[in-house]
Amino acid sequence: MIVTTTAAARPEHVLRGLAVRQVRRGGLVVTAVCACMSALVVVGYRSEALDPAALAALARNPAIRTLFGEPVALDQAGGFTVWRTSVVLAVLLGVWTMLTATRITRGEEDAGRWNLLLSGRITLPEAVRQHLGVLAVVPVLVGAATAVAMIAAGVDATGSLLHGTGLAAVGLFFVAVGGVTAQLFVSRSESNGVAAAVLVVGLLMRMVGDGVPALAWLRWLSPFGLMALTRPFDTNRGLPVSVLAFAAVLLMALAGRLAARRDVGAAILATPGSRPARTTLLGSVPAFAVRRTMRPLAAWSAGIGAYFLLLGLIAQSMTEFLAGNPEFASMAAQAGFPALGTVEGYAATLYALLAVPVGVFVAVRLAATAADENARRLTLLLAAPVTRARLLGAEAAAAGCAALVLITVAGIAMWAGTATVHAGLAPGDALAGAWNVTPVVLLCLGAAVLALGWAPRAVAAIGALPAAGGFLWQVVADSIDAPTWTRALSPFTHLAAVPSTAPAWPAASVMAGIAAAGVIVGTIGYRRRDLSA
Amino acid sequence: MGVSALRTENLSKRYGRLLALDGLSLDVAAGEVFGFLGPNGAGKSTTIRLLLGLARPTSGRAWIFDTDAADVAAAHRRLAYVPADVALWPRMTGAEVLDLLARVGPGTDTAYRDELIQRFALDVSKPAGTYSTGNRQKVALVAAFATRAPLLVLDEPTSGLDPLMELQFRQAVGVARDNGQTVFLSSHQLAEVEAVCDRVGILRAGELVEVASVAQLRRLHHTDVAATFPGTPPDLAGVQGVDGLHEDGATSVRFTLSGSPAAALRALADADVTTIVVREQSLEEIFLAYYGHNAR
Ligand SMILES: Nc1ncnc2c1ncn2[C@@H]1O[C@H](COP(=O)(O)OP(=O)(O)OP(=O)(O)O)[C@@H](O)[C@H]1O
Ligand SMILES: [Mg+2]
Repeated sequence: MIVTTTAAARPEHVLRGLAVRQVRRGGLVVTAVCACMSALVVVGYRSEALDPAALAALARNPAIRTLFGEPVALDQAGGFTVWRTSVVLAVLLGVWTMLTATRITRGEEDAGRWNLLLSGRITLPEAVRQHLGVLAVVPVLVGAATAVAMIAAGVDATGSLLHGTGLAAVGLFFVAVGGVTAQLFVSRSESNGVAAAVLVVGLLMRMVGDGVPALAWLRWLSPFGLMALTRPFDTNRGLPVSVLAFAAVLLMALAGRLAARRDVGAAILATPGSRPARTTLLGSVPAFAVRRTMRPLAAWSAGIGAYFLLLGLIAQSMTEFLAGNPEFASMAAQAGFPALGTVEGYAATLYALLAVPVGVFVAVRLAATAADENARRLTLLLAAPVTRARLLGAEAAAAGCAALVLITVAGIAMWAGTATVHAGLAPGDALAGAWNVTPVVLLCLGAAVLALGWAPRAVAAIGALPAAGGFLWQVVADSIDAPTWTRALSPFTHLAAVPSTAPAWPAASVMAGIAAAGVIVGTIGYRRRDLSA
Repeated sequence: MGVSALRTENLSKRYGRLLALDGLSLDVAAGEVFGFLGPNGAGKSTTIRLLLGLARPTSGRAWIFDTDAADVAAAHRRLAYVPADVALWPRMTGAEVLDLLARVGPGTDTAYRDELIQRFALDVSKPAGTYSTGNRQKVALVAAFATRAPLLVLDEPTSGLDPLMELQFRQAVGVARDNGQTVFLSSHQLAEVEAVCDRVGILRAGELVEVASVAQLRRLHHTDVAATFPGTPPDLAGVQGVDGLHEDGATSVRFTLSGSPAAALRALADADVTTIVVREQSLEEIFLAYYGHNAR
């Protein structure tokens, strides 16, 4: 007799396989972006003879430190690359790991896909640990790839490895932050919101800590601050990065512990019990879309408002410094910040940054619509006399209007900051500059709607591409003096420097047209496809 | 012939190589309570998703009261739906969800809704994130029954309900029937289908294999009989209507009976029968025989 036995697959293998499939594509993209960008900036570095006294002045200037971090070892390709890319890459990696951590844990649970998984031998803490464990490999990979790419591009190994380790530690930290918030809150959107707040507060603490000597200790409390404190290619300190890695490990353990103390589908922070019904903004589909946008909008407004207020507060110091030290103007230009010498130029340059978070906001809002569909929350709405086009229109319009509010908040915050230090930015100029980024945000909206119609699983990534991808593209292009046609691929190239120059209406119209085409084609797809509702 | 509440013509849906629904032609009359049965994966939910315009048919068409089902804005003014697994926004309370659905839906009888909330013992002041599967289902049921829409489409609406609530559900279906509403009920609870449905359709592997009234289906099938005797049982082989005869110990027999029982009863009486148990097969047994019998 022949006996065949199927060895029962070990549960942790099953879990890991599941997790790997959910993170591999995004993980590879993030790794490639970080490694390539670092290598390109190293290769593109042109050393300029800098006078030591001027360098010392640069390092002392609070505005420079707030905005770009402490300038360290700028006379070397490695130091310059770290200064130029570390914040951008750390934020990119932090955002991706945090969003992915909540997506593959709370998101899967939220959509009901873990019910079956956890009905067998696998426990909830086991599932959470294995998923976070697999995701934790990505930041390590990113750090290693970045270090190897920089070494290959010809800079010092010690600094490269330390920089890579710092990046990896920031990534691990945000894997853990996402893992913890996913245990604390019952919905993925709440988990994301709180994790994002940690990220934004960390960023602001780094900025304030760098800019205000008395508050320099704040940097020890921020993942971005700790990464900067390692000072690769300069003093190469290991302690800050160890602190950060240790914090990440603690948080990771905490996530596992918290998972053990809750039920599947429930959260540590209990949803408040009974409460009276709040029936405002429930009367129609558009009203309901607005209702669901309010909370995220308030949170994003707070974050973006605080950031631009800070930028406004340092405007005077920055413009005076650059006006007095013209040798740094070219350096700032190479770093992608031309024309910082006047307050209008300064505002125009920094407003371009605004397009990134606002574009990401729009993408995330439409991704929330896709998640609602995927979790079948839209089914009851779509069973009412509500056409898909109307639903999508309401969601897209709510996201778009919320984005305009965010942009306006940034404009007002920048103006308030500059007014406080008497930098002389007119309120009309402040708003015009902020509104100038609208075409890039519209491109994100168009891309997100397009994705919702044809690739609903990739709404966040495709929607954020014009802003986040375009920004990274421009950073690389600036750093390596890329040919003009490659620059033209980034929408940022086509933004005029408002308020120091007039808006580029033709370019804005073209971008709005492309965005409209995206919305139309996306709506056609959304009406034709099967809903996973 | 009366108005159709729901009609499909050669409705098919293909998922890649799988033909989930194969040329379904169905006509449910207004005012009817129609049970939609079939094993897992037969295509019941697929049919309902096509009727609701949530999925697009590969071929064929469907109508809701002579409105093309694809014209959602018009068709959905006349129906209410309870999905198989109800998902709600976790931070909204039950009352808020009901309010939203009433305001975007086809019109709601709020007095009846409040009564239903009482009957289903639903605490609507709690956030939906704290609800059990059954409570989420109750929210959708209350919303659907309270609409008084002429067509109710229910996909396994009681899979999460306890027996007491199941009873409330049957009552609500009764009220709907008395109001002249049509109910299209997909279910695995055959006792429930037996209790509330006028007609049933049986779907198997995407094909409609039977449409009949519950009484008709019964008539097609048999009665189980068990009898004991003081001594050796009589030989019932060849008696009209007796089938599946087998001895059950030395003094008892079992068989199934179809058609008129007269001949068999006479034979039993002649043999001085001591006890007799006659049991009509439940719908469940009929369907088990059905699903098994027609297996490919
Ligand atoms: N989106 C989809 N993609 C691919 N296949 C699908 C999809 N939806 C359903 N199917 C397949 O179509 C078939 C019919 O599924 P359906 O959900 O209609 O069954 P059902 O009769 O409702 O079963 P149950 O009683 O389990 O609810 C199944 O084989 C299912 O796997
Ligand atoms: Mg089903």
